[in-house]
Amino acid sequence: MPELGRAALLVTLGLVTYALVAGAAGAHLGRRRLAVSAQNALVAAFFSTLVASAVLLAALLRNDFSFTYVARTTSEALPTAYTISAFWGGQEGSLLLWLLFLTGFGAAAVRLNRQWARDLIVWVVPVFAGVAVFFSFLVVAVASPFATQVAPADGAGMTPSLQNPYMLAHPPLLYLGYVGLTVPFAFCLGALLAGRPDERWLIATRRWTLFAWAALGVGQLLGAHWAYVEVGWGGYYAWDPVENAALMPWLVATAFLHSVMIQEKRGMLRVWNVLLVLLAFSLSLFGTFLTRSGVVNSIHSFTQSSIGPWFLFFIALTVGVSLAIVFWRLAQLRSPTKLESPVSREAAFLYNNLLLLALCLAILWGVVYPLISEAVRGEAVVLGRSYYDFFLRIFGLPLLLLMGIGPLIAWRRASLTSLLTTFRWPTLVAAGTGVVLLFLGAGSSVPGLVAYTFSAFVVTSIAMEFARGTRARKALGASSWATAFSSLLGRNRRRYGGYVVHASIVFLAVGIAGSSAFDSVSEARLSRGESMTVGAYTLVYRSLDERQTANATQIRAQLEVSRGDRELGTLEAGKNAYTVEQQVSNEVGIRSDKLTGEDLFVIAEQIDPDGTVYFRVFVKPLVNLIWLAGLVFLLGSAIALWPDAREQRRLVARMREVGLPATR
Amino acid sequence: MTLALVLAAVLAVGCVVAVAFPFIKEPEPESDDLHEPDEEGRRRLELLEERDRSLAALKELEFEHRTGTVSDEDYRIALGPLRREAANALRALETEGRPLEERT
Amino acid sequence: MAGRGYTFRVARKASPARLVIALSVAAVLAVFLLYTSIAGGGNPSIAPSALKGRTAKVQLVGVVVGPVRGDSHAGGKHFRLRDIGGSRATGVPVVYSGSVPDLFKVGREIVVVGRLRNGVFVSEPGSMITKCPSKYAPKKNADDPA
Repeated sequence: MPELGRAALLVTLGLVTYALVAGAAGAHLGRRRLAVSAQNALVAAFFSTLVASAVLLAALLRNDFSFTYVARTTSEALPTAYTISAFWGGQEGSLLLWLLFLTGFGAAAVRLNRQWARDLIVWVVPVFAGVAVFFSFLVVAVASPFATQVAPADGAGMTPSLQNPYMLAHPPLLYLGYVGLTVPFAFCLGALLAGRPDERWLIATRRWTLFAWAALGVGQLLGAHWAYVEVGWGGYYAWDPVENAALMPWLVATAFLHSVMIQEKRGMLRVWNVLLVLLAFSLSLFGTFLTRSGVVNSIHSFTQSSIGPWFLFFIALTVGVSLAIVFWRLAQLRSPTKLESPVSREAAFLYNNLLLLALCLAILWGVVYPLISEAVRGEAVVLGRSYYDFFLRIFGLPLLLLMGIGPLIAWRRASLTSLLTTFRWPTLVAAGTGVVLLFLGAGSSVPGLVAYTFSAFVVTSIAMEFARGTRARKALGASSWATAFSSLLGRNRRRYGGYVVHASIVFLAVGIAGSSAFDSVSEARLSRGESMTVGAYTLVYRSLDERQTANATQIRAQLEVSRGDRELGTLEAGKNAYTVEQQVSNEVGIRSDKLTGEDLFVIAEQIDPDGTVYFRVFVKPLVNLIWLAGLVFLLGSAIALWPDAREQRRLVARMREVGLPATR
Repeated sequence: MTLALVLAAVLAVGCVVAVAFPFIKEPEPESDDLHEPDEEGRRRLELLEERDRSLAALKELEFEHRTGTVSDEDYRIALGPLRREAANALRALETEGRPLEERT
Repeated sequence: MAGRGYTFRVARKASPARLVIALSVAAVLAVFLLYTSIAGGGNPSIAPSALKGRTAKVQLVGVVVGPVRGDSHAGGKHFRLRDIGGSRATGVPVVYSGSVPDLFKVGREIVVVGRLRNGVFVSEPGSMITKCPSKYAPKKNADDPA
C-alpha cells in the first residue's frame, strides 16, 4: 500500500503545480475554462491528499511496521487513540497533515466564495496552489511518510509523555490555526494581483481568519493546560521558543482582526492590513521552521533535520514575492481617508495594533537573539524569563485597558463630554475595586493589582454594553428582555461575540495575574506523619503507596489536606516509572477549589528509599480562570463566526446588480 | 501491490478528468472570457459598496446613539456628514445610468 | 472616491492624530531600548569545553556523565557535564541544587544556568532543563527561578 500513498502524493504535487501554472495563465489571459480547470485541480488535490492520508492512517491502525514512519512512532502495545495521534507525532506525518488541511482549506475557500468573489478567486487559486506546491514537494521528495523497510518485530513506541488526550487535540488545533492563516494570505495576494485592493478580500476571508485565530488560541491554551497538569513543573508557559512560535502569529492575527474593521468601515489602513496578513502568514511558517529545524535550544527538542533550509528558502521566497506585489500595487492601495482624531475608536484600534505588534516583535527578538548573537559575537546569548515578563506587562496591561476603552469611544471622533459620560461607571468601579484590593493586600504586586483594576474597568464596560444594547432593543419593541437580548446578539454577532471574547481575555488576565503575582510556594522534606504549611493550607504526609499497571509502576504519596480547621480530603502526588521505556514521569496532585478557583499544586520531587519525600507545593490563586477563559473564548468566537444569511444575500445581490451571473 | 497500483491509476484518471472537465463539457464555447466586470461594471460595484458602507455607518451611528455611546451632541454633529456621504453615493449610482433597485 | 474622507471641519494638513501615532511608536521603541540597555542581555549559552576560566554567569548545554551522586535538596547533586558530541575529557564537574526534572539521567542532554567557582560549576537553584531525546516529543521540565 505505500505505493498508493506515494502515488497519491505525486498526483497531488502534479495537480497543485498545474493549478499554479494554469490558474495564473487563466487569470492573466482571461480564459474562463482554464481558470475553472485550475480550480478543479485544487479541489482534486484535496482528494488525492485525503487518499494518501487514509493510507498512512490505515498503516498505523494495523501496525504495519514495514512503513518506517509507523515503526518509528508506534508499537504493538500502544492504545489505538495514541496510534492515531502518531499520524502527526513525527516529522513526515505532521507535514502530511499540514498538506491535508491546506488543500482542504483551499478547496473549501475557493468553492464557498465562488458565487460572489469570482474575480478574486481566479487569482487566489494560483497563490494557494503555490503554497501547496512547496508542502507537497516536501512530502514527496524530502520527508516522505511512505518510506519502507524490512518490518521489525515491534515498533519503537511513543514517549509516555505524549500518551495523553492532549496529544489528540493540541497539534491538530494548532495546525488548523497555522494553515488557516494561508486563506487570508492567499486572498490578499489574489486581490492585489487582480487589481482589487479594496475591502472585498477582507470580507471574503473574515470568518476563515477568525476560525484560524480561534483554533490557534484554543490550541495554545490546551498546550498550557497540558504543561500544567501533565508535565507538572508548576507553571503553564515557559516562553520556550516553540511556545512563542504559536503565540507570535496569534498576536499578529489578533491585530489583523481589529484593523480589518477599520478598513471595512472607513477604507483606511489598506497597506497596513496587507502587511499584517503577510507577517502573520510568514510567522506561522517561521514558527513551524523553528520547531522542526532544531535551530534554537528548546525543551521541545526536535532533531536537527534537513528540512530547515527548505523552510527558510520558502519563507524568503514568499516574503520577497509578496513584498514585490505589494510594491507594484502600492499606488492603488493608498486610501484617501485619514485618521480624524487621536481620540476615536479608529485610534484605539490603532493603539491596540501597535501594542500587539510591539509585544510580538519583542518576543520575536527574544527568540532569534541567540541566533543573532551567535552570528555576531560567536556566542549564543539566551534571554530569560524576566525579559519576556517585562514586555508582557508593559505592553499587555495597556492592551487590557484598551479592551474596555474601545467600546466607549465613538467612531471618527469622540468629544470630551461624551467620554466623561461613558467612562464614568467603569472608572468608578475600577477605582473602587483597586482600593478594596489594596486593603486586602494586593499591593504586594503592583502589576498584579494593576491587572485586577484594569480588568474591573473592562468587565464593567462590557457589562454596560450588553445592558444598554438590550435596553435599546427592548425600547424598539422587543416582547421581552430575553427576546431583546437574543435579537441584539443575532443582529450584531460580530460586535457582541467580540465582547464575549474580550471577557475571556479578562478572565485570562485575572487568572494569570492571580497565579503568578500572588502565588505562594513552599518546600519541605517530610517523613511519614510530618506536616507542612503553604499559605492557608496544612498538608500531612500519611503514607506512600505503590501500584502496578500494565506498563508502569505508580508510586504515590498520600497527603491529608486541611485549611484552618476544615478538613479538605486527601491528595496524592508521586511518580510513574515506565518499565519498557526506562523513564520516570512526574504525577502532580492538584486540588482545585470550586469557589475561589484556587489550586493547591503538589509535586513530589524526590522520593527516597526510606520513604521520605521532598515536596514542593504551590498555592495558585485564581488559576482556574485561565481554563474557564478558554471556554468563554470558544463561545465568543462561535458567536462572531456564526453565518449571517442576511449578509450573504446582500453580497450575492450586489454581484447580480452589476450584471455578473452569480453562479458559474 | 497490484491493488495499490489499480487504485493509484483510478485516482490519477479521476483527477485528470476533473481537471479536463471544463474543456470536455464545452469543447466549443460561446465565449471563453472570464466574466470579469468591465470598467463600468467595476465602477458600479465600487459605488454599490460605497452606498452599503455609508448606510451601514448611519445604522451604526443610530445604534450607538441609542445605547448611549454617542452623546446627543456628538450624534447631531456626526449625522450631517454621514447623511451627505450616503446621499452622494446614492446619487452617484443613479447618474451611472442604470435603474437602481433600492435595498435595505 | 466620492464622498469618502469628507469631514465637517476643514482637513488639517498635519493631522494631530498622525503625530500622536508617531509619538506612540517612538514611545514603544524607547521602552524597548531602555529595557535592553538597563537590564542588559541574557546569559551566554556555551558548551562545557568553553567554560575554562569564565567566572561570569552562563548557561551550560551538555550531556550528563556519571556517576551521579548526592541529593539536590541536601548538599547538591554532583555529576559531570560534557559537550554534546564530545568526549568524556571535555567534562566539567557540576553541583546542582533545586528541582530535578524527571527526564534527568546519565546520557541526557540538559541545560543549566550557573557559574564556575573553584573549578566546579555551581548551578543556580532550579535552573535545569532537560531535553527530550525523541524526535517530536514536547516535554517541559523547566523550573522557573523564583
